[in-house]
Amino acid sequence: MQRSIVAAMVAILIAGGTGAGIGWGATPGPLVLGVLTPLSPPGDPAAGQLIVRGAQLGEQYINTVMGGVFGPKTSCALPATPVTVAVEDDSGTPEKSVAGFRRLVTEEHAVGVFGAFHSSAMLATAPLADELGVPYISTQASAADITGKHFQAVFRTHPVDPDRAAAWLGFIQAQGWHKVAMLAENTDYGIGLAEATKTLIAQKKLNMTLDAVIFDRTSADLTPQLLKFKAEKPDIVLNVGVGTPAYLIIKQAHDIGLFPQTPMLASYDFPVRPEEYWKNLGPTGTSLTFISYFHPRMALSPLGKWAAVEYAKRFHSTAVYSNLNSFGDAMILAEAMNQACSRDPRRIIAQLERGRFDTWIGDGATFPRGTGVYWHQWSPPLVILQYTKQDETYDQAPILYPPALKTGTFEAAH
Amino acid sequence: MDATLLTQYVLAGLVIGAIYCLMAVGITFIYSVMKMINWAMGEFYMIGGYAQYLLLTDWLGPARWYLALPLAILGVGVLGMVVERVLLQPMFAGRLERLDEYATIMTISLTVLFRNLAVVVFGPYQFSPRDYAPPVQLGPLPINGSRFVAFLGAVVLLGLFQWVVRRTWFGLALRSVAQNRVGALCAGISLPRIDMLAFGIGVALAGAAGALLAPVFLVYPQSGALSTVKGFEIIVIGGLGSLPGSVVGGLLLGLVESLGSVLISPSFRDVYGFGLLLVILAFRPTGLWGERAREA
Repeated sequence: MQRSIVAAMVAILIAGGTGAGIGWGATPGPLVLGVLTPLSPPGDPAAGQLIVRGAQLGEQYINTVMGGVFGPKTSCALPATPVTVAVEDDSGTPEKSVAGFRRLVTEEHAVGVFGAFHSSAMLATAPLADELGVPYISTQASAADITGKHFQAVFRTHPVDPDRAAAWLGFIQAQGWHKVAMLAENTDYGIGLAEATKTLIAQKKLNMTLDAVIFDRTSADLTPQLLKFKAEKPDIVLNVGVGTPAYLIIKQAHDIGLFPQTPMLASYDFPVRPEEYWKNLGPTGTSLTFISYFHPRMALSPLGKWAAVEYAKRFHSTAVYSNLNSFGDAMILAEAMNQACSRDPRRIIAQLERGRFDTWIGDGATFPRGTGVYWHQWSPPLVILQYTKQDETYDQAPILYPPALKTGTFEAAH
Repeated sequence: MDATLLTQYVLAGLVIGAIYCLMAVGITFIYSVMKMINWAMGEFYMIGGYAQYLLLTDWLGPARWYLALPLAILGVGVLGMVVERVLLQPMFAGRLERLDEYATIMTISLTVLFRNLAVVVFGPYQFSPRDYAPPVQLGPLPINGSRFVAFLGAVVLLGLFQWVVRRTWFGLALRSVAQNRVGALCAGISLPRIDMLAFGIGVALAGAAGALLAPVFLVYPQSGALSTVKGFEIIVIGGLGSLPGSVVGGLLLGLVESLGSVLISPSFRDVYGFGLLLVILAFRPTGLWGERAREA
């Protein structure tokens, strides 16, 4: 009798360490997709808001067009199940991200989580995803270590640092520039990009010098560093701030006469949100070049076209990358469940590694166990755009890079 | 290092230091008069920033910035007086024994309340009003017009504040309350009224810093957090309760941060200020202008 009680207790404890304990197997009702994203500073809340909208669009597609997960278009012998999106704010900080992930998994019973935007937050949470065995997809966090550390449960559908470094070094080379200054925040994202850029310059033996200055992300006054750059007369300044620091670098570089006289390239696509970008910067924002992961000249997949049309209908604005990639991540999780005919997160992880999944662009995303940073990594294409006049929207901005998509040339400030 | 570049760094540090002073003077002034620390100073800074943003973008327009600034400062001052009258004055009415604890809990609660109110009203986004003044050349330093206005505004406000405190009857009343509350009461000074005005003026200085810096830095719900830290750092450097100490402390902090971040590394900008604080405390435990006090 005593033995059977002990055996039962052991069984309960084992179940507690797997999905059954958390409740994925037993939970009736909709399947929960977790969205862990910054919705308040010091994170980038505007990005988080866009990611949430993309996830809501994914929920809409899965429930209406697909008829739910395991719906009529699959061969699964499981009842069609609707999905719902549960959102947690990570504020872009590691501690809130870890707490939010735990809450999504243990309280909301999320079968998969996506929406990460800040690399430091995602890197801190990745070990927990492995521990709980729940797939965690990086929607817009790009530090190399996220995939470079080979976490079992972590995937990424966003360009990795070397992709971004290759793009801007290609652009800088094409412009015939040699002297590069970089102001990067002291996060995994900023430090990772500085390292990736240095490594690539050395590997390819490029005729370029890089002065990378790492600044404290909480600093509001970057004037001294920018004055130093101004004295050094670089050919281009790389702005590697995220959220508030990205804006402060542009404003303060403009204040001291560094930008736009010296070109500046922003490391991610925050200028694609015109209501925030132009409102905050006004004419100061003209001439900025920036990396974007989407431009209407890129061909969308059928899923991407559906998302773009529905987004415009539902939110009365043009879909941007954050919307589309978050939508794509929701779709990838739903397809992985369909292909695995399972809601068990560990089976979803296994399926993500071996399947091919339709997303918003390209001919399908895959997440093989690649080498180095290309472990569980799928990268969408990226382009470099430039705003040439005030209040321009990103779809009107000329594409400067890559050459295959080029629609304009760099316009120096007059 | 090039002398021009060094001068630029020094000037940049002094400009930002002068603006830091406003915050520190507000904190130390409230402490001197009311003998309490207002932990919500950063939130009054944030409210000043939002007020300036609304006035410049929606209500008055950038051309009337000279009206927006006093209105924002006045608005924050009035809000401060209301907060003092409703939430803080009961602790001076003789019903509470642990005044410090009450003030700490109340002002920390205000921090949470104001931040969350800002999120509810404005959302978690960052805002910045457009620059309202043309760029200025301050010696070798090219400086943004709004930042120059902020610098001048800080100097003028600090001068005005010093004049009121040193040269007027009201200032005399404030100083007497700061020296001895019971004595001031015996001399016929209304302590509740002085407390309310002192709190209003103190938070108005923080609001002024927020309003002056709104076009320079961004405005968002947590924008006051850093300025609170800087403010407390400065008053410890300068000496708690000392107005000249706050001014010198603010300028020193601005200089140390500016020079440290270019001569050593900008990754540790905040560390330099705390390093200065530790060095000063090691040699002068009461701060540069602080005095030893004994409480009965």
